[in-house]
Amino acid sequence: MQLENANGLGEVLKMSAVGVDVLLTSGRTLKQGRGMEIGKLSSDYFDAVSICEMDESTLKVLGIEDGDPVRVETDIGSVVVFGKHDRRAEPGVVFIPCGPYANAVTGSDTLESGMPGYKSIPARVFPAKGETVPTVEEILAEMVGVG
Amino acid sequence: MTESEKVFQNVVCPFCGCLCDDLRIEVKDGKIVKNDEGCAISKAKFLSHDEDRLSTPTIKRNGEHVEVSFDEAMKRAVEILTAARRPLVYGLSSTENDAHREAYKIAETLGGVVDNTSSVCHGPTVLGVQESGEAAGSLAEVKNRADLVIYWGSNPQFAHPRHLSRYVRAEGEYIGDPKTGRKIWVFDIRKTISAGVADEFIRIEPGTDLEILGAMRAILRGHVLDIEEIGGISVKSLTEMVEKMKEVKYGILFFGLGLTQSKGRHRNIDAAVRLVQDLNTFAKWNMMPMRGHFNVAGANKTSTWQTGYPFAVDYARGYPRYQPGEYTAVDMLARGEADALLNIAADPAAHFPRRALRHMAAIPIINLDPKRNMTSLMAEVNLPAAMAGIECDGAAQRMDGLPMYLKKLIDPPEGVLPDRDILKTLHEKIAKEVG
Repeated sequence: MQLENANGLGEVLKMSAVGVDVLLTSGRTLKQGRGMEIGKLSSDYFDAVSICEMDESTLKVLGIEDGDPVRVETDIGSVVVFGKHDRRAEPGVVFIPCGPYANAVTGSDTLESGMPGYKSIPARVFPAKGETVPTVEEILAEMVGVG
Repeated sequence: MTESEKVFQNVVCPFCGCLCDDLRIEVKDGKIVKNDEGCAISKAKFLSHDEDRLSTPTIKRNGEHVEVSFDEAMKRAVEILTAARRPLVYGLSSTENDAHREAYKIAETLGGVVDNTSSVCHGPTVLGVQESGEAAGSLAEVKNRADLVIYWGSNPQFAHPRHLSRYVRAEGEYIGDPKTGRKIWVFDIRKTISAGVADEFIRIEPGTDLEILGAMRAILRGHVLDIEEIGGISVKSLTEMVEKMKEVKYGILFFGLGLTQSKGRHRNIDAAVRLVQDLNTFAKWNMMPMRGHFNVAGANKTSTWQTGYPFAVDYARGYPRYQPGEYTAVDMLARGEADALLNIAADPAAHFPRRALRHMAAIPIINLDPKRNMTSLMAEVNLPAAMAGIECDGAAQRMDGLPMYLKKLIDPPEGVLPDRDILKTLHEKIAKEVG
């Protein structure tokens, strides 16, 4: 697998530095459903929604292990979550369960439909070694300034 | 069995739009100790229903949530709502129909806007149906007749965990062995866990649903497409699929937020409705939205019964007006228009995007919910409510529109009332102020 590329000037570009372009999508998971019903402020909910699932090659080019933090950036904002390996995933599409972490990078424009674009958001994923995944309370505070 | 032990049979599960009605719930010393038949989420809901509750009403003083009496919290709620010029009433999908009625009355008396959570789930379905018509049929019909089941942009194994086992991988009147008697196809951009159990998984390119549905319709009508593939599917395979769809006895298209939230929104639904209409020339076909929260389908119904419209209703002129995209909650908040929020049985702080949330932090929120959640952290007033279907009875609508009766199994915590009673009192107090 090619983990680095040279640009036109001969400079070596590391994928882990420039990030990986993906489409970010969000949706339900069983753990998210359980966590939600146990309580939105529970550790079950945090564990269920503070993740970004991706295929093995994306983890590899980012140079991270399953469970390491990643930063997901879109035009709207960025969020640090745990990178998780999804054995069914294909390169190019990553998934964050619906919840505050996905919302932190989701736009509010509904195109006059009432529905924001929760699916297929152009995003870039970076490794975030050493960065901390915020708690549910912290991500809320970061988004709105209230904790 | 002692007097303190009770067993409830045929309990309806108030989690998702399946409203499974076969749970067996054991109660011991006023506490739910067992949930037989329920899925993993249902078990979590029943067995953890008393965890992390909002125990007493609170109001915010100097940025801190302070415990107050019910009357004091109501007084503050009335002050906020009657002082607001553009109040937004939102939520309703996780409570029962009688509570909805009171919420619409509040919106009407205040001259405010009332929207339900369907605006961020199947709102586009409602719009597509209004454009092209509604296919209707029951889940029982699916179970007994469907020989081809399509899930499009839906992951039932995670979001509706018993949907497959109760209605699809189950024996039906005209379906012998469910494993051979019917086929399951999953259309999705990701190979989900549901795709793993399907007979066919059709991976589509993100954002191409509308094109694929349009192409299927064109093929069905006999048009020759001068392209090799569409949305990642070869036209040859698509043609073969359409041929099979024409030959079924009963086909059902279940669709989820993969269709409603993707590029195209309501146009995707519009295209799906028209495909199903065309398919009925050849075979019996039906379609059904996979409704998420247990009574979000009910919220659309009760809103239509009472206001004339299914969601996004504005009473500012004294009569109801309907405009999705304008009176829908995310738009009202992202534009900075709402100046107070009455949130009932939903958690917008956990489900709305960043900009909408930022405005929520700038306005007073009155929050009714059984549990602490992200909205309760932000709320100016928190009013704890009984959990519908566990601590109070009521009616809710299943994803196919069938009304189901929710049972009361145990008493709510002391002093905690059902949403309908809190909202009724709130409406009476508001009506007195507004005159």
